[in-house]
Amino acid sequence: MEVALRIGVNLLKINRVCVHSASRITDSYAKQIQLNRDFSTEVTVNAAPLAVKKHKVSKAMKAYLERARENDEFMKTQKLEYQIGKRHLANMMGEDAETFTQEDIDNAIAYLFPSGIFDKRARPLMKSPEEVFPARKAAEFDETGRPFHSMFYTGRPNFFKLLYDIVEEMNKIHDLEERMLRRGTRADANQKIDFTGFQWMPKEQLESMLVEQINDLEYTNFTNAMDRLVSLPFSYKCQNFIKKFSKPLLDQTKQLEIPKPQFDADGRQFVTTYECLRKTARGDVTVRMPGTGKITINGHDITYFEELQSREQVLFPLIFAGLLGKVDVEANVEGGGTSGQAGAIRWGIAMSLRSFVDQEMVESMRLAGLLQRDYRRRERKKFGQEGARRKYTWKKR
Amino acid sequence: MLGRHSFKLPRLTNMCVAYSTAAAEASVEQLYNRPKLTSTDYRTAENNTKQHSAVHEGKFYTLSPEQKKQLFSGGGLPRQYEQQIKTFTEACLMVRPTSLELLNYIRNTDFTRPVVRYVLYGENGVGKTLTMAHVLHYGLQNNFVLVHVPWVPNWMKRPKETVNATTQEGFIDLPFDAAAWLVHFKTQNANLLTQLQLKTSKDYVWTKREATPAGSTLLELVEHGIARIKFASETIAALLSELKQHANDDKCKIMVAIDGFNAFFHPETRILGDNKQRITPDRVTLTQPFLDITNYNWKNGVCVLTVDKIGMTEGYMDSYLPRYLLGKEGFEHLDPFVPLHVDNYSDKEFASCIQYYLDRNWIQKTPEGFDEQLKYLSNKNPYTLMRLTRSL
Repeated sequence: MEVALRIGVNLLKINRVCVHSASRITDSYAKQIQLNRDFSTEVTVNAAPLAVKKHKVSKAMKAYLERARENDEFMKTQKLEYQIGKRHLANMMGEDAETFTQEDIDNAIAYLFPSGIFDKRARPLMKSPEEVFPARKAAEFDETGRPFHSMFYTGRPNFFKLLYDIVEEMNKIHDLEERMLRRGTRADANQKIDFTGFQWMPKEQLESMLVEQINDLEYTNFTNAMDRLVSLPFSYKCQNFIKKFSKPLLDQTKQLEIPKPQFDADGRQFVTTYECLRKTARGDVTVRMPGTGKITINGHDITYFEELQSREQVLFPLIFAGLLGKVDVEANVEGGGTSGQAGAIRWGIAMSLRSFVDQEMVESMRLAGLLQRDYRRRERKKFGQEGARRKYTWKKR
Repeated sequence: MLGRHSFKLPRLTNMCVAYSTAAAEASVEQLYNRPKLTSTDYRTAENNTKQHSAVHEGKFYTLSPEQKKQLFSGGGLPRQYEQQIKTFTEACLMVRPTSLELLNYIRNTDFTRPVVRYVLYGENGVGKTLTMAHVLHYGLQNNFVLVHVPWVPNWMKRPKETVNATTQEGFIDLPFDAAAWLVHFKTQNANLLTQLQLKTSKDYVWTKREATPAGSTLLELVEHGIARIKFASETIAALLSELKQHANDDKCKIMVAIDGFNAFFHPETRILGDNKQRITPDRVTLTQPFLDITNYNWKNGVCVLTVDKIGMTEGYMDSYLPRYLLGKEGFEHLDPFVPLHVDNYSDKEFASCIQYYLDRNWIQKTPEGFDEQLKYLSNKNPYTLMRLTRSL
């Protein structure tokens, strides 16, 4: 049985097929997925043993073989072109072609073809063909048209195999639990999997891992099954299996590094935040601790802003952190209008204050949106319209 | 009997004091229970401006309704402050350090010397006009004849009526404004003038039939001006020169208080001349008499003037400093003068003002730290604070 199957498989060890369509991979994590893809590899067609060759080749197989060959050739030429292009680029940039990395290519492209197009994915790029052309599923049947996979007729064999595997794991754990109970031992509470700070692999990523399209309901089934698996008392026994499908949540505050305060000539602590941006206003903000609540904006006091709205903007982080009257603020700001300048200073003060408050306050400041830079810009006017959104008054004639 | 009283009295008063303070504290605590601001030191019962000293700094004193009516019925308080007075049903003025300084100067003035000119200056809304109001109250209480112009730019910016002057060629007359000022002068000084019985020194012939003979009282002169609006401007000129002469003869003391004095030296007015050209302030008949009375060539008087940014028009409002606002000509006219800078509230004044607003139930929302926020939002500017607290 074993031998026969191997012969069958031997015929074609095909794992990947690409179509000629030049659609590009858009997912940012496409690269990362390719590394751990279990369901497809290089397209290689081995010479089949003579005995098998006599078998009649199905039409579907013939068509597939033709497509696989064409794809192979296409990818070969693409790779060659990529290599040549890389060498050209290296020469143009005056670098060594052998040590020219993908990063160098990206830099060279950004330098040679500067682009202001808003969407980064629409800008010129040069990547290896493996990244650019999406992977396709390998052949699922042999020359005679007989499917390899036992779940071929479910339509999504890889996905249902995965569900099957999950149940398999669950059954194993149930058996284990039974045995342990008979022996009188219970699950170790300390080893219980703590799933906080983790989430299941998102749908898109799972799809590209399985090389199959699944719908929302099926994805929910998957997460429910995984949740049930994790909730079992002995789930730590299949930790590796769970880890394969989980993804850590990013903690924002851990990402941002809080600067250490410096000391000025008076021995006071101070932190300067440069590049405080909002709309077209640019500025820098220095916060000194301890202080008397003096606020200096371009050499004036807070009356630099005539409007109360702007004054409130400047004072808000200080009030929020409870440091009004306890720190001194110096700000230099230029460009933009009143509200833009006030917003830039607000952000600068909030960023600087992180150094003078505890971690909890930093977190609540983040939740209040004080540490979030405001990227909104003025929206352009459109022709045929009165403004950015407003249309001209409709007139019958 | 007396002995018994005298030994009983202290205990009784002590009890009274204890009771009243307790009641006051309880009511204030309900309203505003934060210990850092002491609750009773924002008001003073001392209504005599002569007694005002550094102890009263930052405290509010009450102007009696009669005096308020006498002093300011023709203007002199900012309109929004008038509204606030109406709302609060009492006219309270804060004793500001600048007015204390000014009062101190006036108290120690040697009136045998030529008049000293004091110029109040400062940012918008710091209380220049109210400082002047305080000083005017002092003048009223100390028998000064008040020559008070509530707001000069009113004449230069929006006169009620303009006619060509009959006596002076090429000059513009503002009869209605002049008459209104005469009414204002009369309400302020009628009592004092009847006491003093000041007489005119020469005949004033207005027309063939009308004349004010020498020896008639100044009140008669004023009343004639009010009745015959056509001659109001000339009456003002006559009145001011008469007053100046009487002061020189030690018959009276005069306090000149002119708000928005820099409007007399503004490069242009909004008054249109014959050829539809904007004229300069020196061609308005009212200007010369008031410039004469702010000159230094007389005694027994004191001049309190304010220079104000908002007295100017667009393009001339860059700075609040006297030299800029008065221009070269005005500065030389006043030189030498005593400049007095009116500043924003100090911390003490600010706290007292907040207390006063709380007392009047003007501020009713008092979340934690509201006073700090107000302090920073308003930058301790009195006018901004008044505007901010409107909605609280």
